[in-house]
Amino acid sequence: MPPPLPARNFCWPLVARLATLASELRERMDDRIGQRSSSLISWTWGVSGTGSVRTMAPEEALAAGVPVKRVVEALVYDALTETLRDSVCAPVRTELLPPAVDSPGLAWYGQHDATWVAHYDVMARVGLTTYLSDDQDQLGLWVELARSTGWWWPGEGMCVMAERPTEIHTEPQPGGFHGELRLHRDDGPAVLYADGVQVHVLHGTHVPEWVINAPTVERIHAERNVEVRRSAIERIGWGAYIEQARLRLVGTTGDPGNPGSDLHLYDVPRELWGRPARLLLVVNGSVEPDGRRRRYGLSVPDHLEDPLSAAGWTYGLSGEQYAGLVRRT
Amino acid sequence: MTMTLAELTDLTGLDVLDHLERQVAIPVVDGLQAQGDLIVIPYAFVEHSVSTHHYTRWQDVPAAGIELLRSAAGGNPHSLVADPGTCRFTGGLRDATGLALGMIDTSAVAYLIHPEHGGTGIAPGRYVVRRQRERSTERRAWSANRMIAD
Repeated sequence: MPPPLPARNFCWPLVARLATLASELRERMDDRIGQRSSSLISWTWGVSGTGSVRTMAPEEALAAGVPVKRVVEALVYDALTETLRDSVCAPVRTELLPPAVDSPGLAWYGQHDATWVAHYDVMARVGLTTYLSDDQDQLGLWVELARSTGWWWPGEGMCVMAERPTEIHTEPQPGGFHGELRLHRDDGPAVLYADGVQVHVLHGTHVPEWVINAPTVERIHAERNVEVRRSAIERIGWGAYIEQARLRLVGTTGDPGNPGSDLHLYDVPRELWGRPARLLLVVNGSVEPDGRRRRYGLSVPDHLEDPLSAAGWTYGLSGEQYAGLVRRT
Repeated sequence: MTMTLAELTDLTGLDVLDHLERQVAIPVVDGLQAQGDLIVIPYAFVEHSVSTHHYTRWQDVPAAGIELLRSAAGGNPHSLVADPGTCRFTGGLRDATGLALGMIDTSAVAYLIHPEHGGTGIAPGRYVVRRQRERSTERRAWSANRMIAD
């Protein structure tokens, strides 16, 4: 049990005082901006997403009467939260500071703190708010840190600062309406530091280095994380994986509407996904630029007994209905 | 009237990847057809599970098309295109499976076009467009299924 904290905050360690300072600054700036609307908006603008400001173009959202502050918040804070905090910061943190390692103390994220720093900075820059003069000065310091450093750890009389990564590789986030990105690189590390430290990420999934450089069936089956397993199978290719893992074939039938291509249904060992499931191997209806047709595996419920029912299920149709498929492109 | 992919891309301003055959007539289908992760279902197939709301609003499909769904990488949309005034679309549906993107109601041939999958013709009629799902492989996923986006 940690010793109780001293009662007055000026006695606290510097790192705690700094955190308090930042949190109080943010509270005062929030007051000036007006209530943060993220928590409320999903109820008023429909949880289905169709009318949500997160999925609307800015012009469209403004035309629909969404307050301009909320539009700016969606474009800056929400988008940066996904891009920086969830997609970059989180995997880097998991890779570099695994939970088992002694925490080096409260970290500040420098350029990756831009999620919240940019939010306050932009609100003032576009004239949606003004801050007290002291607060504006303090915010300026955070902006400067976001512009000039990687992660940093303050201590009494010293500060440990990390260089920013030398390489970051990304791709657009699926379903991102405001330019959200996620880490991705399939021929090397997605994040690289000058000292050689690397973080590997495939389509946003943080993976061990072997997934990129040497995926094997043995390693896939020994891996505990299902998303890592899926990413590794996709590296090998579903067809090659099924062959190498010797999955039991439940049934094969021609894919209606996709002449010359078959649907294959396989039993998946329970240990792969941790629950009973079957795998439907399908072939794309159109050719790739290299003239081949891409194959991919779809997970389906284990009660589906034949490939047509499995294929129909993926579209909410029965096997008999799917058998009537006229054309697939 | 039949149309080639070359004519369709000229007409709509939408483009497809270079390797797809552009001079062949695009088949027009009045039955069930799939384009990648989308499926076009004659309404009669699903009339018991899919319905419109009383407040469902239809929109006319312009020549430049309506984007129905984008691919996972963010870049490649499935677009619905038609001669102006001949085809309408709505996203306001109730679907027991939760897979419906919307309904197409067309009095002339409409087309689905996608940069990687090319084009396909939809005969006059009423159709439900659904997306594809798979069983989630995550044990603690919020939903047992998840949507496919190719």
